[in-house]
Amino acid sequence: MSAYLEIPIPPTSEHLWRYSPWKRVHPAAVNTIPKAQPLAISGGDLFKAVIRGSDEIARSFIHSIAQCQELVLANEDLVIDIKASGHVAAGELKIVAKGHCTLVINLMGEASWAGLRVVGEVLPASSLSIALINELSRESRILRVEDWLVGKDASLELSTLSAGGSYCKSDLRVVLSAKGSEFRGAVASHGTGKRHDDHHFEIQHAAGYTTSGLTIHAACDDNSRAIATGLLKIDSDCDGSNAGQIFRNLLLSEKSRADSIPELEVLSDDVKAAHGAASAPISVEQLHYLMSRGLAKSSAEALIVEGFLMDAFIKDIRSQKVVAAMRTALLSHLDCLVS
Amino acid sequence: MSDDVQDIVGDYRYGFHDPEDATIRFDKGLSEQVVRDISELKNEPEWMTDIRVKAYRHFAERAMPDWGNCQMLNAIDFDAITYFLRSSKGTENDWEDVPEAIKNTFDRLGIPDAEQKWLGGVTAQYESEAVYHSIREDLEQQGVLFFDMDSGLREHPEIIKKYFCSIVPYTDNKFAALNTAVWSGGSFIYVPKGVHVEMPIQAYFRINSKNMGQFERTLIIADEGSSIHYIEGCTAPTYSTESLHSAVVELIAMEGASIRYSTVQNWSVNVYNLVTKRGIAYKNATIEWVDGNIGSKLTMKYPAVILKGEGAHAEIISVAYSGAGQHQDAGAKIHHLASNTTSRILSKSICKNGGRSSYRGLLRVSPKARNCRSKIVCDALVLDSNSQSDTYPTMEVGNSSADLEHEASVSKVSGDQLFYLMCRGHSEDEAMGLIVNGFFEPFTRELPMEYAVELNRLLQLEMEGSIG
Repeated sequence: MSAYLEIPIPPTSEHLWRYSPWKRVHPAAVNTIPKAQPLAISGGDLFKAVIRGSDEIARSFIHSIAQCQELVLANEDLVIDIKASGHVAAGELKIVAKGHCTLVINLMGEASWAGLRVVGEVLPASSLSIALINELSRESRILRVEDWLVGKDASLELSTLSAGGSYCKSDLRVVLSAKGSEFRGAVASHGTGKRHDDHHFEIQHAAGYTTSGLTIHAACDDNSRAIATGLLKIDSDCDGSNAGQIFRNLLLSEKSRADSIPELEVLSDDVKAAHGAASAPISVEQLHYLMSRGLAKSSAEALIVEGFLMDAFIKDIRSQKVVAAMRTALLSHLDCLVS
Repeated sequence: MSDDVQDIVGDYRYGFHDPEDATIRFDKGLSEQVVRDISELKNEPEWMTDIRVKAYRHFAERAMPDWGNCQMLNAIDFDAITYFLRSSKGTENDWEDVPEAIKNTFDRLGIPDAEQKWLGGVTAQYESEAVYHSIREDLEQQGVLFFDMDSGLREHPEIIKKYFCSIVPYTDNKFAALNTAVWSGGSFIYVPKGVHVEMPIQAYFRINSKNMGQFERTLIIADEGSSIHYIEGCTAPTYSTESLHSAVVELIAMEGASIRYSTVQNWSVNVYNLVTKRGIAYKNATIEWVDGNIGSKLTMKYPAVILKGEGAHAEIISVAYSGAGQHQDAGAKIHHLASNTTSRILSKSICKNGGRSSYRGLLRVSPKARNCRSKIVCDALVLDSNSQSDTYPTMEVGNSSADLEHEASVSKVSGDQLFYLMCRGHSEDEAMGLIVNGFFEPFTRELPMEYAVELNRLLQLEMEGSIG
């Protein structure tokens, strides 16, 4: 594995870095490795662990400044808090899931920059549903990278409510490694002020009869910008795979922006692969419907935004605990904005 | 024909070639002197020579694209290509005056026959220059200018100077720079205000020699309230060495004008087809690209429309077929720069026998363009497990009033559909051919009937033996 400083700076022609170049993601000058405070993780039994470095620049960077902890889940539902403090905070987390588990992660704190790298595995015939609630302070910048391996007949649900931080870059990769493995991803992103939220997903179907679904809903207000890029790859000899991606953007103000790149690479023939993307303002009909029932325009808009964001989770996420956690967090976030 | 070549040719019916009988043939390879020689040979004005030289310098400095099929792109040997070859003494207005061998070629391609029946004008380009050119008298009387590009430059330099490189500057990409440096042939069309050219105008491009580079340049200007349908077709013989086709097409649709540009690209599988096509649509104008890619080794072609005037509309319909050893990297780009502009992209592709088809698209709505609407649909059929289908769409939305949709799907031919047709007495091959023709129907219905019939027949030939 290369050390961070040996890895060339990725050009913006790579779409992973096109909208959020590495020099803006890095907490300081790109040729430096700053000192980082460890992320404070509470709520579960954690052990010190070691994970391998990476040739990918973001993973390698976090690896060079962070310590790793391991969390083993076995037929349990767990809520953990991850707090990022100080100027630069970073941590690596290894997660292994056996049996049927849910994990709610509350990401909070006032760090100027937070880096989180997760390496996870869902063991065969197991299921894991994760909710990550990004409630970092509005001044924070965050880099989140995750690599998941889903085993035979196993299922992974990865839900994200992205509302905190001012500049967020997420690079999430999932490998469906054996027959019957399944992935469902859902992201609800709410942009206010000058928030920049960039989600990149890579889903690889490395075996036949695997299923994946990804839904990203972004509501962009003020001067915010939402970016969703996804690469859905079905390897050769992966017949029977079924994959879909939906990216939807709700544009709430004149100066908000949304960019979507849902990509497909299909090397097998007997598969179903589809993607869709749509961007639109709030529907006048929906507004009219709510306002004609006595709601003020701002309340009607807030209700539509809430429904739009929750919709990302309701359709695809099976774990009701995760959906409930997301609903509570979203309502709390929207209430804070109103008040 | 050697076995190797026979393997490459397959069912390609335009793979024949004539003995080379060049009147002028440049040595292989490219240099600034070659560029100046081409310009001098054509007795061009100084400003054109200057643009060519600047473009050549840009081409020489610019790196190859670092995206797309880099392996195939980097295999192009620019020193092994002939950049200019003149096959006849001039452009003729009567088929009888065209050199016999060349005339026979176009006869076999059915061009003179088609001209008589349903075309408003024809340019036939053989190697680097047009060998035949004609336009119906009534169109000429209405003031329609239709020339091969070299003649257009001689006859109307003021128009060409104004618009040449205005939509596709030579700095746009490496192959646009190459084309600007060594362009030869192509079409120049000007449709005056309010004139509707009812019958399509056609250009047919033929490469005959080995290791040939064809770099035609096309400029179409539709003045206010006018309309035109332009069709181009392309074929080449099949050799075991590669040829390069790198064209640039610029379309300008003034207020209320309409341009439809249809292409049926059927190059042989030894041709690199690296083309830049772009149009600009002013207020209430419409530009349509109808683009069929069946042949070539590697096609990289992304017809683009800049919607610059309020109410402008763009439509891009493309189909691609990739067989063994082929990569069709095609797509569409639309820039919504003005308010109330609309666009639609429909892309369909089929790959089989290890072929690869990619859709690469860009849809951009600028922050000042209000109430824009766009819909993109990409469908792909993958017919066997050796083939690959990719979709790389990009949507960049710069304001809240835009309403955009994109949807794509990749699948195989459904067993139910095959079964249904076979129950009604069709063989597997016939059933597959019918399904494929139906899949491409949104494209073929936009073509004149003769073209659509020919295309369906070609596809049926390509699909033979697809089962099992």
